[in-house]
Amino acid sequence: MAVGRASPAYPEPSCALAPFIPLLSLGVLIIGDVTCEDCMLTDFKRDMIAVLPRLRRFARSLTRSVPEADDLVQEACLRALSKSHQWDPAQPLDRWLFRITRNLWISEIRKRKVRLGEGHIPAEESAELITTETGESRVAFSQLQGKIAALPSDLASVLLVVSVEGYSYAEAAELLDIPIGTVMSRIHRARKTLAQKIADPVGGVQ
Amino acid sequence: MNQYQEKLSAFLDGELSETETRAIEKALESDAELQAELETLMAADRVAKDEFAAILGEPVPFELAKAIQDAPEDIVANDPGAPRKGTGWLTAVAAVIALAIGGSGGYWAGLTQGNEVVAAPGWLQDIADYHTVYAAQKRHLVEVPASERDHIQTWLTNTVGADVRVPDLTAQGLEFQGARLLVAAGKPVAQLMYLDANERVVALCQIQTETPRDGFAEQSIQNFGMVSWGGENSNFVVVGDEGRSDLAEIAQAAATQV
Repeated sequence: MAVGRASPAYPEPSCALAPFIPLLSLGVLIIGDVTCEDCMLTDFKRDMIAVLPRLRRFARSLTRSVPEADDLVQEACLRALSKSHQWDPAQPLDRWLFRITRNLWISEIRKRKVRLGEGHIPAEESAELITTETGESRVAFSQLQGKIAALPSDLASVLLVVSVEGYSYAEAAELLDIPIGTVMSRIHRARKTLAQKIADPVGGVQ
Repeated sequence: MNQYQEKLSAFLDGELSETETRAIEKALESDAELQAELETLMAADRVAKDEFAAILGEPVPFELAKAIQDAPEDIVANDPGAPRKGTGWLTAVAAVIALAIGGSGGYWAGLTQGNEVVAAPGWLQDIADYHTVYAAQKRHLVEVPASERDHIQTWLTNTVGADVRVPDLTAQGLEFQGARLLVAAGKPVAQLMYLDANERVVALCQIQTETPRDGFAEQSIQNFGMVSWGGENSNFVVVGDEGRSDLAEIAQAAATQV
């Protein structure tokens, strides 16, 4: 069930959503015509919320960590809201949000490298950084479940964008800000790496 | 190294030139090693789709939606009509719940693993619910605009699990506006949006099923007229205002093209 009927017995809303969190976890569906003047939701925000599952998944492919992905998505959404005048409605909102998310992540990776004393790095190399086996990244690895956990971020994100999201190579190149040839080679490497993991689930993937 | 192996992924993704595609197709006819490599890549692709799909099934953190709801929005240039009264926080809650249910219903993993989930009769009720929400939209009628028809077809075909085509309904006075992805009866649904000359919304929705219905059926749900039918690997429904007399004609026209 996607959108339910009004619940006439529902109490007057008070902006305090906390009491309804259990309803969320139970999957109970409530929607009504009740309007809270303090908490009006714009079309833009509602459309943004509709994209959240896919945005979180994309962020997960970048960060490989659930909490980091959610932090990244939240930051990206707040950034998008603050700059919504820059969004061209002729452009798909999801693509715009994906791009903001990706750019924020690259920026974050650069900051981390600087903090670690490794200096500034070019954007095209940023995506590789989180694949290094530092202690931090190993923790992150453990939070991406399944065989796709065998994929480093640069491969996982390309595979997601092309194979799952259905973007063309050209669109993926633009979205991820990498050359189209890199998209082509990365998606092949991603599938090969995954195939290797399938064939040898306990073995390491080079 | 087989000269074609490196291009098999691009072949799978339809990214090669016609000449290269034909060359690989020809090679595949007689090259067992190449066939095996292709099957290996396809198997990896299925695993990736399954596992990435499973992530969609995870509930969206309530705090995340709440943060978005509470955040100030630069609405001046983007959306002069917003905020819109009547879509309060309950809508946000419902949206989050709908997202959570859409994934947790077991569909996302099930479909791509080949486990059939029959298109539940309730999907039309869900479609009516969605139509209530989206048909009122003007600036945000669709998720992906009509200008990206090819992407829409690829995206929705991959997601819905059935071949999604965008029918040309201009002869019925309808102009294609774009598409959305919905979740109805726990399954993903392709929703293609059209507008007539009076800017009334007509939606064509498609849900994957192994047991498509026979023939056409007309009914009304929530003041919307619906004409549903079954096609190859899918059930379809055309939705519009209840007063429309042309929904059956639109459905017939669409059915010949999907």
